[in-house]
Amino acid sequence: MERRLQKIFFALSMIALALILAAEWQANTPSWKNYQRNFLQLEAQDEPNAAAKAAVLSTPLEIHQVMLTGLQRVDRCTTCHLGVDDPTMKNAPEPFRYHAGLGPHIPSKFGCTICHGGQGLATDKESAHGNVAFWQTPLLSVDYVRATCGRCHKEGDVPGVPELTEGRHLFETQGCRGCHKLNGVGGSIGPDLSEEGASLRAPQWLEKHFLAPNAVSAGSAMPNFHFSTEQARNLTYYMLALTNQDMGSYYSSVRLIPSPEYGRQLFIEKNCIACHSVGGVGAKTGPDLLGVTKRHSNEWLDEQLVNPQLVYPGSTMPEYDLEANARKALLAFMATVTTEDVQSILSGRKTALKPEDVAIEAGKQDFARFGCVGCHGTELQGGVPNPNAQGGEVPSLLHVSDDYTKDEVIAIIRNGKVPPMDNPAGPTPPLYMPSWKHVLSDEDVNRVADYLWSKQQKKESW
Amino acid sequence: MNLVREIWRSIVRRDPLTTDKGKSELVFLNVWLHIHPAKVKKENMKFRHSFYLGFITFFLFLILLTTGIALMCYYRPYPPQAYQDMKDMQFVVFMGPFLRNMHRWAAHGMVICVFLHMCRVFYTGSYKKPRQFNWVVGVFLLLLTLGLSFTGYLLPWDQLAYWAITVGSNIGSYAPLVGGQLRELLLGGHTVGEAALLRFYVLHVAVLPALLILLTIVHFWRVRKDGGLSRPVWTLKPSKTESLVTIGAPAVVAPLQVEAASRNKTYGLMEVVTGKPIFETITPEEEEDTVFSYPYAFVREAVVLMATVTTVMAMSLFLNAPLEQLANPAKTPNPAKAPWYFLGLQELVSHSALLGGVVAPALMVLALLAIPYLDRNPSRRPVDRKWILWLFTFFVVANLALIIVGTFFRGPGWAFVPPWVHVVGGAE
Repeated sequence: MERRLQKIFFALSMIALALILAAEWQANTPSWKNYQRNFLQLEAQDEPNAAAKAAVLSTPLEIHQVMLTGLQRVDRCTTCHLGVDDPTMKNAPEPFRYHAGLGPHIPSKFGCTICHGGQGLATDKESAHGNVAFWQTPLLSVDYVRATCGRCHKEGDVPGVPELTEGRHLFETQGCRGCHKLNGVGGSIGPDLSEEGASLRAPQWLEKHFLAPNAVSAGSAMPNFHFSTEQARNLTYYMLALTNQDMGSYYSSVRLIPSPEYGRQLFIEKNCIACHSVGGVGAKTGPDLLGVTKRHSNEWLDEQLVNPQLVYPGSTMPEYDLEANARKALLAFMATVTTEDVQSILSGRKTALKPEDVAIEAGKQDFARFGCVGCHGTELQGGVPNPNAQGGEVPSLLHVSDDYTKDEVIAIIRNGKVPPMDNPAGPTPPLYMPSWKHVLSDEDVNRVADYLWSKQQKKESW
Repeated sequence: MNLVREIWRSIVRRDPLTTDKGKSELVFLNVWLHIHPAKVKKENMKFRHSFYLGFITFFLFLILLTTGIALMCYYRPYPPQAYQDMKDMQFVVFMGPFLRNMHRWAAHGMVICVFLHMCRVFYTGSYKKPRQFNWVVGVFLLLLTLGLSFTGYLLPWDQLAYWAITVGSNIGSYAPLVGGQLRELLLGGHTVGEAALLRFYVLHVAVLPALLILLTIVHFWRVRKDGGLSRPVWTLKPSKTESLVTIGAPAVVAPLQVEAASRNKTYGLMEVVTGKPIFETITPEEEEDTVFSYPYAFVREAVVLMATVTTVMAMSLFLNAPLEQLANPAKTPNPAKAPWYFLGLQELVSHSALLGGVVAPALMVLALLAIPYLDRNPSRRPVDRKWILWLFTFFVVANLALIIVGTFFRGPGWAFVPPWVHVVGGAE
């Protein structure tokens, strides 16, 4: 027995030693080392002589990482993707291929995962590409990867990604905020979308959801808006861009890209042509703007946009409270503006607004901006299905003045309302009027009510 | 050469191990080994008497100490760096996964073994006189082990950790009057956050291990003073039973009949303390049953040590410790589950927060502590202790059943879902 025990002890010790060696072997042979060896082979091929080849091949194998404090991440992707910033690797096989078309977005400044998703800390393929349990953001497919531009470029026009601009426009005009909160503003019927881009949802899921909400999410209260496939794709892009992550000052400084296209949009939006002319086209209250960037320095013009009275005491030009990049965009547009373009802008515009219409127009904009149109329709026609509500759908607002006074309507907007039910024993209707008093100012509410009243149709008398 | 020998002799001062004197001195003169007696009873060392569960638990603790100290070198107890450190451990630290796996599996193993050790001690009646208080120390060691495991559970700062601790600490808050304050003291706030992580870390790496080591010393010392490992009494001849039950219990032995101090007889201090003449403590039959601890006991302990180490290492090579996504206080997994050893408790809580979360566990701990004092039956023979054995078995089975139900049969909303049924959207 004693002899046997000693043998068992010896055997167990040997097993323990073997296990330690096995663990060490496991730790010493990670897959990234193979990739690095292959990459060195690839590099050595082009070396002229044996000595240079040997020098390349003897490069130590080590983990490469990009520390991105501003983006709160560490990306080790370049441990395997070794040729990503090396133009000579243009035709190399993956994972060594050069990443063309990055522009200013160099890997050493941006890493990889902020755009592509995946797990930057990981050093094996499956984990790094994020196709593993418990990693929320796997690598985005080529079809969707451009959506993430919107994580830094949160506003305005994003060059090369029209889907994003269009998706954002759809979101703000189709009444999504009526049910969904985004960055604190919006209704409470649907989920908050502020972090939608960081959620577990696959892009394909989102796209299907926009085409037919009930097909992927049974019993969803979201009405089918009959989006086209293109619109669904655009909205999906916008959703993927939505995160609350703090990007750090370096990255958020390009929130808005000062492109001439965005400048043109601002030019129309801010109605500059109501006072100014370009090459004689437009109004005469303010100076003509053709060639204005040649007459004044950029600094002077910028100051003029920030504080008109400081530059020209007595100027009647209002302060527009534009952020720096928006001002840059306007100036960029001014530098390239043509008389023909302004002519087309002018002819595209409806007749000039009368003063009393301005408030109503603002009410209409609020009605769209805060998402009322999502349920009540862009023409107040209602009609969005709402099972078991009286009439089975969201009512039209064209006749509210028959049943309510303006004050009553204002009270409903402020406090919300649960629709009366068709069948009191049936299920609660999914859609209801949320309370808006914490979102809209009293002024906003009054303007929306004014707008409603301007659209009332009298019941046909008989 | 002489110098080398001199240095060696200055370190190892015993006689060669080939002699009985050397074997005794190995134990006597060594601070680490002298927790052992110089000679042990063969019968006591039999594997099937104790399954060496106490040893295994202790060896697992040693593994936890060493791997834990190594892990401390790579860990910052601050969110979200804590989680990033876990990822670094997984992806860039040399042998990091192996190290963390060893710590994880040894920890689970220790919870299991400490519980099994308690069962063994109960079934053999080894908590009876004179070992009552050592049972109480053992119960505290069990609680400390659970506390260490619970505090360690939070440190990876992933969803699993975060919500397990949230649920676990909520259970504690059901205690009337002080529950809320206790929870706040533990978490350093109303919810599990930075302060909680730091407090759990301090408890896990300093306070609880220190207490555990101190109590372990007491536990071992008392085992030694009470006659070494307790063996099942039914393996002995009836005539010997009585003396074994009372061995080494000074209080129950009649005071030593001391001859008046005379020139014929003097008594050593040890004889006065134990109440027995030193040369009469061992009968000739018992002497036959004893052997030197070296190598008889040491080789057995060494085999168990290596078996424990290899088992943990083998598991760590092939089974990875879980690491879920970064803790997110805004996303509650459904169901959120406490660590597995508290799932029985969570199952009880799901039926009644006060009864299941406070009354039942408090009664359970009190009952465990009181066992040696309530059980006045002096006999250690199973035939004499039928009902209490059944009672304890019921307690063990009920606990296990609750844990199994909580672990495998509870789905979203704590609804009863057998493990073979897949719940659609259950991961949401």
